[in-house]
Amino acid sequence: MDPAGGAPAKDSGASVPAPTDLAAQLRLVARGDAAAFDAVYDQVAAPVFGIVRRVIRDPAQSEEVTQDVLLEVWRSASAFDAGRGSATAWVMMLAHRRAVDRVRSVQKESERERRTAGADIPYDEVAEAVESSLERERVRRCLGSLTELQRESVTLAYYGGYTYGQVASLLGVPAGTVKTRMRDALIRLRDCLGVAN
Amino acid sequence: MKARDQDLHTLAGAYAMDAISAPDRARFERHLAGCQECAREIASLREATARLAAAAAVPPPAGLKERVLAAAAATRQQPPAGRPAAVPLWRRRRRLIVTAGAAAAAVLLGAAVVSGISDGSMRDQLSQAQASSQQIAAVLTAGDATMMTGTVRGGGTVTIVMSHSRHALVFTAADLRPLPGSRGYELWLIGPAGDRPVTMLPPGRHDMTGPVVASGLRSGDHLALTAEPAGGTARPTTPMMLDVAL
Repeated sequence: MDPAGGAPAKDSGASVPAPTDLAAQLRLVARGDAAAFDAVYDQVAAPVFGIVRRVIRDPAQSEEVTQDVLLEVWRSASAFDAGRGSATAWVMMLAHRRAVDRVRSVQKESERERRTAGADIPYDEVAEAVESSLERERVRRCLGSLTELQRESVTLAYYGGYTYGQVASLLGVPAGTVKTRMRDALIRLRDCLGVAN
Repeated sequence: MKARDQDLHTLAGAYAMDAISAPDRARFERHLAGCQECAREIASLREATARLAAAAAVPPPAGLKERVLAAAAATRQQPPAGRPAAVPLWRRRRRLIVTAGAAAAAVLLGAAVVSGISDGSMRDQLSQAQASSQQIAAVLTAGDATMMTGTVRGGGTVTIVMSHSRHALVFTAADLRPLPGSRGYELWLIGPAGDRPVTMLPPGRHDMTGPVVASGLRSGDHLALTAEPAGGTARPTTPMMLDVAL
């Protein structure tokens, strides 16, 4: 369980960055460095698979989408712009967006099923499936510091893959209220988690 | 404007969590492009959502890594942005057409106002112009709108924006050679469906003619221009001065 150790230097020689520096690894990937991509995989595969599976739920589809996302990282690494956010945030955005797109493209058929399934995601379930307990605990604590409406809005939207309009009707709250609660919630989460910006 | 921007801005949280419909996403991204402060806020909110993803981490199935690395080895990478290939061609074409469309609309309005003042039937001219400009807008904003230019034998250039999905095109001409009063330019659609007269072109103003909308466009059609008796004819009687495959 040491992603750093798994990154062979191979032909990249002395220019290989500290393996934990995902942004530097991505720059190497953009130049076609397979060893760097191997290292990137080790760093991001678990969170990518985790968030994709949480949104999609179906294990086989989740695996397929995870593969698509990681391949997208390989294909479009040159599009990563360190000036616009961290490498982790970029990869997670690709993952989450693709998972959500997949869910919405099949949502018509299974709308009812997802409505029942999605509505009961309790925030503390976030903690259960995971191994990296420190991070998990911190996120759990910060989610716990939100108001109930903020927390439900965030978990339904981010983990459930719902639009704010769907969240509003699930919670029986005006869409405008949900919109503002989502923003307030993320700002509080950001500050609570001490995300550098 | 202020209120609208404010309203858009509240979408920041929903956008950062992808909790937004595709049209809203596109609208917000247009807003983002012109708002650095918003872009910074989105970036910081994305850091927070990335932590939510990290908290959901689960070891991926065995064998996935092998498949991903093998697939990557067989997949061509995108060139860095900024190279010409990074901007889809159709986007640039659309932008060009919108500019051309705005110019055509300005010409149309100018023509209507000038003629209205001079012959005293301004209201008719304007309502005609409005109906026509709606048709023009429909063609110019069509997803498949394509712009072409051509040269007229005997003098002048034409600009055509056509949309097969709208079955119509917009035609404008510049510097057409003036014809004697007894004759005029007639526009035709010629193709497998037969030769169809579109319209007699109105007299040019300030060396500009049109815009004129030709509807009933079918695949395989050509656009043609001939000089005919002022009242128009049912089929071309003189050599074509312009022939553009559409």
